[in-house]
Amino acid sequence: MTLAAPEKFETIAVKIDNVTKIYPLGKTEVHALKGVTLNFLEGEFATIAGPSGCGKSTLLNLIGCMDTPTSGEVTLDGQPISKLSDRDMTNLRLSKLGFIFQSFNLIPVLTVYQNIEFPLLLQGKFTAKERGLKIQALLDEVDLVKQAKQKSNELSGGQRQRVAIARALVTNPRIVLADEPTANLDSATGERIIDLMKQTNKKHKTTFIFSTHDPMVMKHANRIVRLKDGLVVQE
Amino acid sequence: MKGMETAALVFQIAFRNLWLYRFRTIVIAFILGSGAFLAIVGLSLLTDVESSMRSSITESIAGHLQVYSAKAKDELALFGNAFMGRAELDSISDYSAVQKLVLQNSNVDAFIPMGLDMAMLGRGNEMDDSIDALRSALKLGDAELIKDRKDQIGFLLQQLQLELAEQEKIVTNKSELETKKKNLELALAPEFLAQLKADDEKKIQFLETQIAPISGEKLPIYLFYLGTDIGAHRKNFTKIHIEEGEALPEGRRGIVLSKTVRETQLKRRVAKLFDLIHKSKTKANGAIKGDPENSRNAADLVRQGGQIISDLDRNESVKLSQALNDSGFKAAEADRDIISKLKTQLKLFLTVDDTNFSDRYTWFYENIAPLIRLYELSPGEKITLRSYTRSGYVKSVSLKIYGVYSVAGMEDSELAGAANIMDLVSFRELLGQMNDASRKELDGMREQSGIKEVNASDAESALFGATATIEAQSLSQNSPTAVAPEVISVKPVLSDVFELPEVQKGLILNGALKLKDFSKLKQTKKELEVLFKANNLDLKIVDWQEASGIVGQFVNIVRGVLIFALFVIFVVALVIINNSIIIGTLNRTREIGTMRAIGAQKRLVLNLFLAETAVTGLLGAVVGALFAFGFLSVLNRLGIPAGNDILAFLFSGPRLFPKIHLSVLIMAPIVVTLIATVTSFYAARHAAQINPAEAMQEKE
Repeated sequence: MTLAAPEKFETIAVKIDNVTKIYPLGKTEVHALKGVTLNFLEGEFATIAGPSGCGKSTLLNLIGCMDTPTSGEVTLDGQPISKLSDRDMTNLRLSKLGFIFQSFNLIPVLTVYQNIEFPLLLQGKFTAKERGLKIQALLDEVDLVKQAKQKSNELSGGQRQRVAIARALVTNPRIVLADEPTANLDSATGERIIDLMKQTNKKHKTTFIFSTHDPMVMKHANRIVRLKDGLVVQE
Repeated sequence: MKGMETAALVFQIAFRNLWLYRFRTIVIAFILGSGAFLAIVGLSLLTDVESSMRSSITESIAGHLQVYSAKAKDELALFGNAFMGRAELDSISDYSAVQKLVLQNSNVDAFIPMGLDMAMLGRGNEMDDSIDALRSALKLGDAELIKDRKDQIGFLLQQLQLELAEQEKIVTNKSELETKKKNLELALAPEFLAQLKADDEKKIQFLETQIAPISGEKLPIYLFYLGTDIGAHRKNFTKIHIEEGEALPEGRRGIVLSKTVRETQLKRRVAKLFDLIHKSKTKANGAIKGDPENSRNAADLVRQGGQIISDLDRNESVKLSQALNDSGFKAAEADRDIISKLKTQLKLFLTVDDTNFSDRYTWFYENIAPLIRLYELSPGEKITLRSYTRSGYVKSVSLKIYGVYSVAGMEDSELAGAANIMDLVSFRELLGQMNDASRKELDGMREQSGIKEVNASDAESALFGATATIEAQSLSQNSPTAVAPEVISVKPVLSDVFELPEVQKGLILNGALKLKDFSKLKQTKKELEVLFKANNLDLKIVDWQEASGIVGQFVNIVRGVLIFALFVIFVVALVIINNSIIIGTLNRTREIGTMRAIGAQKRLVLNLFLAETAVTGLLGAVVGALFAFGFLSVLNRLGIPAGNDILAFLFSGPRLFPKIHLSVLIMAPIVVTLIATVTSFYAARHAAQINPAEAMQEKE
């Protein structure tokens, strides 16, 4: 079931090679992924779709370097992850990945500015001034300049998700993983969020991989991977 | 740069989380604050008590270090061990060598030879007292007094007769009893007392030597004493001062009584009863009514009139009767003579209750105490001490009382100065060591009695036992009129003076060391141990705290209790802290997962939780420290009253004024914070284990 990459993309961002994942569940086992082989190319705006329990989240966790496969290999930007330590996986997440969550997952006690600054502080590569420039640019891009000093729990859902997008993008990641990013938003807001991501995708050539049920998101995607019972059933 | 900024962020998140969960924060901070408060107040007080106790002990008896033979059966216990007996110490046969050796150490200021022991005080009995009283009445020629005292003796004689009748039923040695009975009958014959005149010294001696011993002695008093080189002792134990009489001169045999011992063991019963009730009323807020002990003492007080009267001569009796009359204590119509008048008046006076007690107490000490023999022993008198030596026989030594001492600042404490102070020569004698004089004496006696081959200890027992009885009786013969041809004269076994070099070598039980620099105590102790070993001396060296026995351990015991209490508080606090972190992480799983997902290492999460505990701990501990500071400041101004003798001793005075120890005040919050932080590590690790994928989990 190997799929040839579309010709206009050249570099493979994520390579998933015959990956299985088995979770213990009580005395039995759950075969969440049963041998998935899949590539995501740089600059793709792809969705993973499928019913609950199809293995979507598992696949996303593996791509997100939050879990390791039972067998097979996930290669991220040329880096196989199955043998990496927790520390190296964390560094990989910090340097190459951005995350957008269904429930936005901002750190409630921090301001908008501090939430966006958080990954930059973890990286520790930039001076306060450099960080300031990056954050200002992103605040401008997501239209939250005025809210910079507000606590995240004072914002609306759409505003929060825009903060989350800014946080995901501030490190210039190669890949952004978004888990149902519009599920907790009304459709108009959801649409604006997708637009925002699409713009970023075009501007920075950032690879976006979604998991979603939302047909509106799928409409924007240039590729849809459908999963069922731990296997890829349709591209 | 990176570390600093991340740390700042971690603390910022920590602070805001603590604010978010402020109730929990306050509870934990309160517990840790209480711990810090208790630690600061407790440790400060302990430090103060330790240093005041140190001055109590080191400057009154112990010195900084004590040396004694390593062969000792017991540990040295200068204030008595738990069983209040004497410690069995092996002696150091010649201390001058040890002294010379320890003075080589540059930090040793002085070596004071010592020995602690106890001996029985020969006290005579009631018959002896009554005979003494009769003797002085006869001397004055006061008919009423003489009659009263003869009556008293007559009464005692009748009691003795009853006692002998009882003894007859159980005693096997009938011949001895028969002699006693015959003598008693002689004394009981109506004409014996009736015709007893002032110059009848023979009759009085008959009473003293044949009758008085029948009734047995008063309960013996055991006196603790410290034998020492008086000169060295005075120079080094400056807290000791003479309250009455004079200091024991160097080169003289004698004893200086401890005021404490005199007040507690040697005071007239009537005064002692007044003291006991007074102390209970003033120090413990006690009342006579309702308090069984005070009531018993008050009831006992009423019966003490006779004791007062027996101390008075006619003039004094008249004077006292008049004074009592003036103060409203009237004799009854029926009272004819001064004695019966005074009996009635004293009975009235000694009937005390809560309303009149303090007036009576004052009146007693102003008007009666100066007239009576307030203490059984006073400076200028001679006493006989009897000891059971290590080899089992009885040794008896006669000593002059030179003065009464107390320990400065601790006059109220019964523990300070539990020992009387005597010269080393007498001490060694009581311990049973033979010197040249006593050896010669003994040889002389042996020769005289014709004994050649005997068991030595039996012989000594017999001989010295005999000496002791004679000496005890010589006590009651101080009166110049007592000199009659039949009076037995006793030649002292030991000379009352001695050459100083005699004490400056020879036997001791232990030695006290005074150091120049107290702070180097441990180091000096170690150096001396090495020195002793190098010189093949089998000596043990202990610090003042160990040497003082159970009392010295007090601070350690209290410290143990305090540390245990702190330990319990911290265990409780830590269980609560760990629990609340673990529960807290449940609420914060998504937050932590998100941090981990977007690139935070486990360490950051760990640090975040540790920081939260550290901030809470520091907050609580600083507030606790401020309260402790305030509390100690108030105590410092007011002072803590020493409610009882033990506290007075520990406080080295009637009140303790706690100092504020800056080091404790600063260190305690830091330590509390550190302990809390370190022990929350478990829960923090638990939080750090949260999987980054948790960020993805949606709540249903």
